[in-house]
Amino acid sequence: MRIPILKLNRYLLISIQVDLDDQTALQFQEDLLNKIHQEGSAGVVIDLTSVEMIDSFIAKVLGDVVEMSNLMGARVVLTGIQPGVAITLIDMGIMLEEVPTALDLEQGLEKLQQELEA
Amino acid sequence: MSVQSNVEVHSEWGIVSARQAGRNLAKELGFGGVDQARITTAISELARNIYLYAEKGEIVLEGIEKKEAGGVHRGLRIVAKDQGPGIKSVREVMEDGYTTSGGLGAGLPGVKRLMDEFDIDSITGEGTVITVVKWLR
Amino acid sequence: MQPSVIEMINSYRDEVIAQWKKEITQVQEGEFNHTVPEAVFNETNKEFVELILHTLELKQNEAKEHLRSFTERLIHTGWPLSYFTKGLQVFRRVLLELMTSNDALPSKKVYETFSEVESWIDGIINQLVDEYSGSWENTLHLQKLALKELSAPLIPVFEKISVMPLVGTIDTERAKLIMESLLEGIIEHRSQVVLIDITGVPVVDTMVAHHIIQAAEAVRLVGAKCILVGIRPEIAQTIVNLGIDLGKFSTKSSLRKGIESGLELTHRKIVSV
Repeated sequence: MRIPILKLNRYLLISIQVDLDDQTALQFQEDLLNKIHQEGSAGVVIDLTSVEMIDSFIAKVLGDVVEMSNLMGARVVLTGIQPGVAITLIDMGIMLEEVPTALDLEQGLEKLQQELEA
Repeated sequence: MSVQSNVEVHSEWGIVSARQAGRNLAKELGFGGVDQARITTAISELARNIYLYAEKGEIVLEGIEKKEAGGVHRGLRIVAKDQGPGIKSVREVMEDGYTTSGGLGAGLPGVKRLMDEFDIDSITGEGTVITVVKWLR
Repeated sequence: MQPSVIEMINSYRDEVIAQWKKEITQVQEGEFNHTVPEAVFNETNKEFVELILHTLELKQNEAKEHLRSFTERLIHTGWPLSYFTKGLQVFRRVLLELMTSNDALPSKKVYETFSEVESWIDGIINQLVDEYSGSWENTLHLQKLALKELSAPLIPVFEKISVMPLVGTIDTERAKLIMESLLEGIIEHRSQVVLIDITGVPVVDTMVAHHIIQAAEAVRLVGAKCILVGIRPEIAQTIVNLGIDLGKFSTKSSLRKGIESGLELTHRKIVSV
């Protein structure tokens, strides 16, 4: 299974709609980095509205992907993290401190815009 | 209550099916959205540990009840069993940030915080049984 | 209990009742029930002492049932447990004193009789304590439920800005509920900034601070920003004295200042017209 990555001007948009298994998550990491390289994207929004659970493995993959993208010059914003998912992450002690977040796709794009202008 | 399901974990897909079974049972028992997320995440961590360290094992999910002042209390019990190498130092794996897999080291201590009851029983060379319970509020 | 002992107790019945009433009144004057009218008190005493003696004639489960309905009624009207335990202790002393006062009891039977009386009275005390603690647990359970209903609402004051006023003591159980209601409210109202107002929180210790910090972290994960407002001077002092690090998130002294800074964050301001 592969997660589709959409291109919108300088940005990449990803909406994760499936229950992520480990392989899919790792595959996604690789696909996204390749796409950033290929398109020279300035920003990425990963929307997690439909994701019902993030465990420590997937949290690590997401945290890594943000860091790796930053190294490649693309800012990443995570959007739509559900209350249950947020609380579970906090309970587990996973803060994702360096990761920018926004409520939804729209605000995520706004945030990218601001950060890139600043 | 006799709702019980067993999920074999011997591949990464076992992790996914264990947490789906857990989500369904949690929903059925009447857990709210946040607790459903806590339960599925705990199952995911436990199943992943089985897959990573013991290669195969099983997750048993069961609705349970206990009597208390103020009525009957319902809950969900998760038992993760394997015949793997066992855990050498239970104290170490319960420390935040301790990892042998290169992960976040949030696994077992995280599971303990997500659930209401946590019990671990491990014999080196024989295997591990981890039992956790979440009570309905 | 042996019939001979029962018979003996019954033969002292009137004396026991008279002496007991006298002593329990002394206890009462020293300690409790100043608010209970004398007539009610006397009536209850009479009923209580007769019930104690009555249990001798009843079968065990019948006696239990009588005691249960009696205590249930008194628990509801707020009689203290100490009234019953003191009453029974006094009763036992009075009875044993009378039984040994006029050598009616053959000395070799003294021990046996004593232990029969002891276990009889102990049985009643145990049941009363059980009934009382059962009722306390029940009350506690109901109060916990009531506290849960004192949920914290998230109030959308402006577009993109919401306020959550916290009132009362925050324990772990409540902190969890507050966090859920906070996050769900943020999604529902699409709030970019939430002001958590702790004016109504009496004490902020490390535990409460920990819960607030966790809530702020969770708010950030769902994509909003949290500002802590209503920090009173004594709260600021405890926070610093306890070495709690709130450095990572914004704090403002008042709700008004918080709202101003929330508007600024969402690129708006209030102007006079």
